[in-house]
Amino acid sequence: MHGYGIYLLKRFAQFVLVVFIGISLTFFITHLTPIDPVDRMVAGMTTFGQSDPEAVEAMREALRALYGTGAPLLDQYFEYWGRMLVFDFGPSLSSFPTPVSQLIGRALPWTFGLLATCTLIAWVLGNLLGGLAGYYRNNLALKTFGVVAMGFHPIPHYIIAFLLLILFGYLWPILPISGGASQQVERGLNLPFVLSVLKHSVLPGLAIILISIGSWFMGMRALVSNIVTEDYVVYAELGGVSRRRIMRSYVMRNAIAPQVTGLAMSMSGFYNAAIIIEYVFSYPGLGRLLIAGVYAGDYGLVLGVTAISIVAVSAAVFLIDVLYPLFDPRVQLS
Amino acid sequence: MSADLLSVERVTKVYARGGLFGRGAFRAVDGVSFALDADRPEIFAIVGESGSGKTTLSRMILNLVAPTAGAIRFRGQDVAHIRGGRARSAFMGAVQPIFQNPFEAFNPLKRIDRYLLMTARRFRGARGQEAERLADDALRKVGLSFAEVRGRFPHELSGGQLQRVAIARALIPGPALLVADEPVSMVDASLRMAIVSLFRALRDDLRVSIIYITHDLATAYYISDRIIIMQKGKVVESGDARAVLDNPQHPYSILLKESVLSPDTIGEGILGKRPPATVDAR
Repeated sequence: MHGYGIYLLKRFAQFVLVVFIGISLTFFITHLTPIDPVDRMVAGMTTFGQSDPEAVEAMREALRALYGTGAPLLDQYFEYWGRMLVFDFGPSLSSFPTPVSQLIGRALPWTFGLLATCTLIAWVLGNLLGGLAGYYRNNLALKTFGVVAMGFHPIPHYIIAFLLLILFGYLWPILPISGGASQQVERGLNLPFVLSVLKHSVLPGLAIILISIGSWFMGMRALVSNIVTEDYVVYAELGGVSRRRIMRSYVMRNAIAPQVTGLAMSMSGFYNAAIIIEYVFSYPGLGRLLIAGVYAGDYGLVLGVTAISIVAVSAAVFLIDVLYPLFDPRVQLS
Repeated sequence: MSADLLSVERVTKVYARGGLFGRGAFRAVDGVSFALDADRPEIFAIVGESGSGKTTLSRMILNLVAPTAGAIRFRGQDVAHIRGGRARSAFMGAVQPIFQNPFEAFNPLKRIDRYLLMTARRFRGARGQEAERLADDALRKVGLSFAEVRGRFPHELSGGQLQRVAIARALIPGPALLVADEPVSMVDASLRMAIVSLFRALRDDLRVSIIYITHDLATAYYISDRIIIMQKGKVVESGDARAVLDNPQHPYSILLKESVLSPDTIGEGILGKRPPATVDAR
């Protein structure tokens, strides 16, 4: 396990570095713009009606103190990191005075649940069907699936989301088209709530699955159709090794490793798509929160969601990297 | 029942070439016949250029593809009728393949030693120490030892080593026939002769018959007892290897022979001595 320890350490250092650079970038991008959030807020509040100039100045000072925007940039940067480490992003501007961390805490389980489940479903299903399609090349059902998947693949995710919305919300209204759960049921771990959550997640989930399953399917099919012509597979077939066993330990096992890497690499892409899809379906996750924050000019919220997203996506990639040696025994040796 | 180890009887393989603009048929192998004697092991060379049908023929002998017409019998049994795991396994115990590309011959995620031990177990019923001894015996015949490959993955060995391991694996079941499809074309020249000589030793010491498929006339001349020369699916010339290669009759055989770089004319940019043969052969 010595080699694996070093591998693990390297990956962890990479994870920390990515998070550090990402979060620093979000800080500097937002702070190097010439727009002062406090000025904008005050301007927004004083647009209508007359205000006492001294009261306005006092409010400006109070807000500066609250957000710490008066201090030099570097001090602000260290302050920012200090608060970031305890996930304190300050109070939200648009839902004042609810802390940003609380808003994120409420939205995170929705996004995590939907995205993780659907990405995994798409990955497993796409690879399984793609593998079978590569091995049983004359199967009509799998061929048909390949054509359908190839047709769906180039359609942008938001178009698919709207298509589903029109199909199942308007033309054949059988599924809820917005929200995370029905308002009528009590929130908690009870059956009506769980069923409601599942029902509400079908359409956004389907959108995520539809946009990603095609690439897994086609990638796996191409990998497998290359592998089945390799001599070691021919040799196993000659020796009368059962087709199931050949499929499992000769073909799939060799094809799955690049697909695991592919999953890690496309993680952020799926996250981006999920944000748009959440917005289309008004799903109460991070994506909707982020877009609402951008529209409301809620700096703290945008920074908070961005930071959490960076940490979450990097953590997912790190997790996949940690699991990779399970799929490829050669990694441990090098 | 005949005393033939293997008999190939007027075997033809036709591939349908389907396209958008009509269908055509492509005769990869066309009415090929030959037989190997069970009592007299020999090295039987099948020579021809790419696309001459030699690989298709070997795949039919190995029961990977079924012939369109004709029959291939191994010890009197039609190989196309071998179905199911047990029958295939029994057939493979007697007929072992050696492939062209050693890097493709092993699953890259399986350790080499496991391959050898599994082969010993499947075909010889050996386990533990006994299986290791069988693997070591086979490896020593090709100039390796079990200690050298223990715990190694295929990518940790060189191509020449892997090809020798592949031959060792083919020897473990104690086969009566080896079907070697271009076994030395991916191996560097220094090892080529060693492997070719090994084939001769296998024939003489272990009484294994070898079907040696190649486009390399020099090694074919060096080791084979009999030879057939194939062109576009047909056998154009056959017989005793030295007789055929010393005095080829068919224009294609003559062309093949003359395409080999002759040491006499090397450096003069001349392939062979009679370029006009190209015209006759086609």
